[in-house]
Amino acid sequence: MVLVLALGDLHIPHRASDLPTKFKSMLVPGKIQHIICTGNLCIKEIHDYLKSLCPDLHISRGEYDEDARYPESKTLTIGQFKLGVCHGHQVPGHPMGDLDSLAMLQRQLDVDILITGHTHQFKAYKHEGGVVINPGSATGAYSSITNDVNPSFVLMDIDGLRVVVYVYELIDGEVKVDKIDFKKTSTTASAH
Amino acid sequence: MGKKGVPEWLNSSLWSSGPSSTSVTGDQHIARYAAKPSPEIPNPRRLHLSKKVVNLVELRRLATQGIPDGAGIRPTVWKLLLGYLPNDRGLWASELAKKRSQYKAFKDELLVNPSEVTWRMDESAGLKTELLKGEGSGLLSRSEIVQGEHPLSLGKSSVWNQFFQDSEIIEQIDRDVKRTHPDMHFFSGDSSFAKSNQANPHYLCKLNPGIRYVQGMNEVLAPLFYVFRNDPDEDNAASAEADTFFCFVEVLSGFRDNFCQQLDNSVVGIRSTITKLSQLLRKHDEELWRHLEVTTKINPQFYAFRWITLLLTQEFNFADCLHIWDTLLSDPEGLRSETLLRVCCAMLILLRRRLLAGDFTSNLKLLQNYPPPTSATSCTSPTSCEGR
Repeated sequence: MVLVLALGDLHIPHRASDLPTKFKSMLVPGKIQHIICTGNLCIKEIHDYLKSLCPDLHISRGEYDEDARYPESKTLTIGQFKLGVCHGHQVPGHPMGDLDSLAMLQRQLDVDILITGHTHQFKAYKHEGGVVINPGSATGAYSSITNDVNPSFVLMDIDGLRVVVYVYELIDGEVKVDKIDFKKTSTTASAH
Repeated sequence: MGKKGVPEWLNSSLWSSGPSSTSVTGDQHIARYAAKPSPEIPNPRRLHLSKKVVNLVELRRLATQGIPDGAGIRPTVWKLLLGYLPNDRGLWASELAKKRSQYKAFKDELLVNPSEVTWRMDESAGLKTELLKGEGSGLLSRSEIVQGEHPLSLGKSSVWNQFFQDSEIIEQIDRDVKRTHPDMHFFSGDSSFAKSNQANPHYLCKLNPGIRYVQGMNEVLAPLFYVFRNDPDEDNAASAEADTFFCFVEVLSGFRDNFCQQLDNSVVGIRSTITKLSQLLRKHDEELWRHLEVTTKINPQFYAFRWITLLLTQEFNFADCLHIWDTLLSDPEGLRSETLLRVCCAMLILLRRRLLAGDFTSNLKLLQNYPPPTSATSCTSPTSCEGR
């Protein structure tokens, strides 16, 4: 049972001042074992805050991040799954023709689960044996496409060959939680 | 017992606290005691244990005087005294098997994996899991969470919330357990004390909602686990964790009320117990009582609190502590009786010369760092002489 928090596109302080209070009250240290951040924090204070929630923090660089040292993409293995994270602004055609371009990225990184951002919209889909998850914007910051963004983030419970993805969204001031359940067929390397 | 002057038996030089061997560690003490062939008669005890039905009354009488260390019978005697083993030898095997499997069931039930629980809930709610195969693409379908359960839930009845709260308590217990008797290799070395006992106090609290884990419970576990783990019988030694749990529950049940905060000021709580000690001292040695509580104004809580709640485990070296426990556990009225208080009273009376000569500071220092007696039996013999 490994809990992995995936979030990003906070755009603090330029487009949002902080995470929603209702999110912050749930995100307490001691529960989460890994954090994967798609990027666009944008400042060090947010980096430090995330680090206080969980010391194992993985961040990919968003185009507005102040710290230029974050990598363009990163991969890590958690249990039976290989995960990759990449902000997505680098992907050609994204966010318009995202499916194919992201699929290419997933193959490149050779991962089971690709976490990506940029669109500020939650999305989760499967493609050729792998899964792409976009946790949306944790602060509800506007994106280049739309202003109508519900704050959201994702918490994955990786347990053996099974992953339960809990989707947390703030809709009309209330936190709504949904889940997505999927599992791999075998313990061998990813499907690519 | 006359109130004037010191009782006869206290005059024996056997009990004068001479220069103490302060630098001897716990391990060395144990080695010393174990190596010495006991001058007391091990035979009556062995005789009793080998009978088909153990005579508990006789056993208690003998155990009061202390169980010889080298004989390897202490684990069995303690289990009999605490009622863990029935006195009919024929039933031992089945009782032990029953209790040990019960313990395993507790563990499985109480150490719950919230992931699995959620999964089972999903299955019974008919939720489907998406299987990732080589082809095909499309949005993954979202479903509602079952019974409001999710990992970040702060709900009181949430399986996840319970899990994280329990984890915190277990971590705290683990820290305390790891710090038990750091000077003794048995506890600080690679032994299983920490691993086996990190959760025992937690189970106790789960089974007794009125009690929360209190720092110090680990100290009460230590003698039990040490004794059971060193059972010459391999099977018994391997099951030390389960046996320790049940005996730990039994030991604490006599003193449970001392750990319950709400009962602190009640008739059964710790304050009232300390008052009883005070009254006992006054009855047996009014002069000392007056000097301590009236003249030097030492509130017995300053020293007796730890003596009583931790069953004297902190006041003596480990080997002596085991002997004292022989006496405490052998009382026919069980642990709820006044044996502990009478031992505490004897501890005070043994130091009367120094206490009567001391002031608040020196006396408090003395009582909070009780000097090792020359023989562990010196504290326990007076109590059997005192009678009721």
